[in-house]
Amino acid sequence: MHTVSRKTERLVNLTIALLATKRYITKSEIFRTVDGYEGSEDSKERMFERDKDDLRNLGIEIEVGTFDPLFEDESGYRIKPENYQFQLGEVNAQEITLLSLAAEAWRGASMGQSALSALNKLHAIGIESDTELLLDLAPAIVNQDANLAFAISAITSKTVLSFSYLNEELQPQSRVLEPFAVTSRYGHWYIFGNDLDRKANRLFRLDRVSGELKLQGKSGAFEIPADLDVNSAFANSSGISSAVIFLRDGRGLNLRSRGEQIVTTTAPVGWQEFRIEFRDRERFIEEILWYGNDVLVSEPADLRVEILSQLRAGVATYG
Amino acid sequence: MAKTQSTPVEKAARLLDLVPFISTHQGIALSQLAEEFNLSESELLSDLNTLWMCGLPGYTPLELIDLEFESGYVSIRNAEVLQRVRLLTKQELVIILLGLDILRSSLDPKREDLQAAISGLTKRIKEIVGNVATASPIVDSVHRAIIVQAIASRMDLTVKYHSTIRDTVTERVITPLELSLDLGFEVLNAYCRSAEGFRTFRLDNMESVELAGSSVSIPEPSDLADYQWQLLIKSRFRTSSERFRSSYKPRESSAGEQVTVNSFSQDWLLRNAVSTLASVEVQLPVSARSLIAEKCQQTLELYENWAFPN
Repeated sequence: MHTVSRKTERLVNLTIALLATKRYITKSEIFRTVDGYEGSEDSKERMFERDKDDLRNLGIEIEVGTFDPLFEDESGYRIKPENYQFQLGEVNAQEITLLSLAAEAWRGASMGQSALSALNKLHAIGIESDTELLLDLAPAIVNQDANLAFAISAITSKTVLSFSYLNEELQPQSRVLEPFAVTSRYGHWYIFGNDLDRKANRLFRLDRVSGELKLQGKSGAFEIPADLDVNSAFANSSGISSAVIFLRDGRGLNLRSRGEQIVTTTAPVGWQEFRIEFRDRERFIEEILWYGNDVLVSEPADLRVEILSQLRAGVATYG
Repeated sequence: MAKTQSTPVEKAARLLDLVPFISTHQGIALSQLAEEFNLSESELLSDLNTLWMCGLPGYTPLELIDLEFESGYVSIRNAEVLQRVRLLTKQELVIILLGLDILRSSLDPKREDLQAAISGLTKRIKEIVGNVATASPIVDSVHRAIIVQAIASRMDLTVKYHSTIRDTVTERVITPLELSLDLGFEVLNAYCRSAEGFRTFRLDNMESVELAGSSVSIPEPSDLADYQWQLLIKSRFRTSSERFRSSYKPRESSAGEQVTVNSFSQDWLLRNAVSTLASVEVQLPVSARSLIAEKCQQTLELYENWAFPN
């Protein structure tokens, strides 16, 4: 217990000293004046190096500089207040409320701890939230997958990830990825990045990762493209095809909302004709079959043939 | 509250955040401060006692942070250097960015002021972390707010619900019991007055949610009739398992995989089975096989007897 609070005290004291100084202070000044640096020169050095890393991991940048550019050995340290303080500038009550609601959304999810510390900072600004807004909205991110938190920290620290990913045959494949972005779609979380083995950008669904994501190598290992557009990753995965389908009155609700009704005279009473786009042919066939005899594919012919042959095989297997 | 002990670094981070918070909330009650930081009062006291030992080099009373909390109310002096609110870490900014995305889509479109405020904040955050995170929520957070309110105040709800199993939208009166997670999807466990039974509703399939009257008593939950089918997955292992919501693990062989799946809805099992005709065979029960045969036959007739317009 004692060593725990000694280390904590030392980190806080170091932060105060480096923040308060208007000039760079040298390592020897730090060891002489900041409380907590004890032991041999070597052990003080090690302590200081670890402390610097710990503060950096908290987002606190320690700047290294020299008093006199002619004497490189006299390097010193300081924390510039502008690099330490809340960086979103002036915020009003409405903005504080929105930011708080955004962080609140993670309560109880995999990133609860980061959400809490973000909330503590937002509330420390001392502006009262707009309570009228707080009542009407309850955004929630329900993710419980610890890999999401891990993916986000790999992105923000620009560290390569390695993991085992299950393919359609459920065989694990090892992947090495420069992670660029996370995104949620259709209720699932995806990680997007540059697949180093396949030398192309790829998208992975997080719940298909077998086991844990692992960090590989150092932070700052790559740059995230400035013109990154995650949405395009979904769009480019495969080409778009189109089909014409008939839907029974009031049926195939999901297909109806995605498709576009064609006004024709060919649809018999009790049916409507729709044009609908799809990407993954096998998935689309599965979706059509889900609706049984409430949905009928009319075009293209090859799709109809495929569905017919599956139905005939079904009758043969089960009949 | 069972919690893991903070590491020294986590504790240091918290102390750095406690200072500006107390500075803007001078005289806050210990209990309230503990709640804000999700700590027990004894953990908070330990934090404050540590903070009390910190200050500027010299560490005389002139330089140390001056804290007063013996009265049960906390105030702070001599902490000017740490008074600034600390910057948000990139991790925190990313989760806020995702939260804002979720929030944006559930706002009343008429509140243009809020939409504009969210866009402004999003832009400021993206300038710092880049365009590294987006979220497309599938649950309307206004719906969730009403559900949370109904559970807390023991009210019934009128919901318009799109059942993908029945392929219909119906209006029901339900007594909400609790929100939970089902394979990553948010669901509401409720007693459905229209169906007179306990049902699970996916929040993303709710088209509207409104408060109805106060809840009256509901019957004791009885065991749900459960259907159990035995499947042989022959191909498309990942998709088929996900479809039947069966957990999966890495496979060594290329042989078929036998799994048992359960559902309270026979219709759901049947639709899945017809959907995956090409990759899954239902082996048991025999009654299920005849249901599938019947469904295949009906659908086949539709295809074969239809006069196509081409």
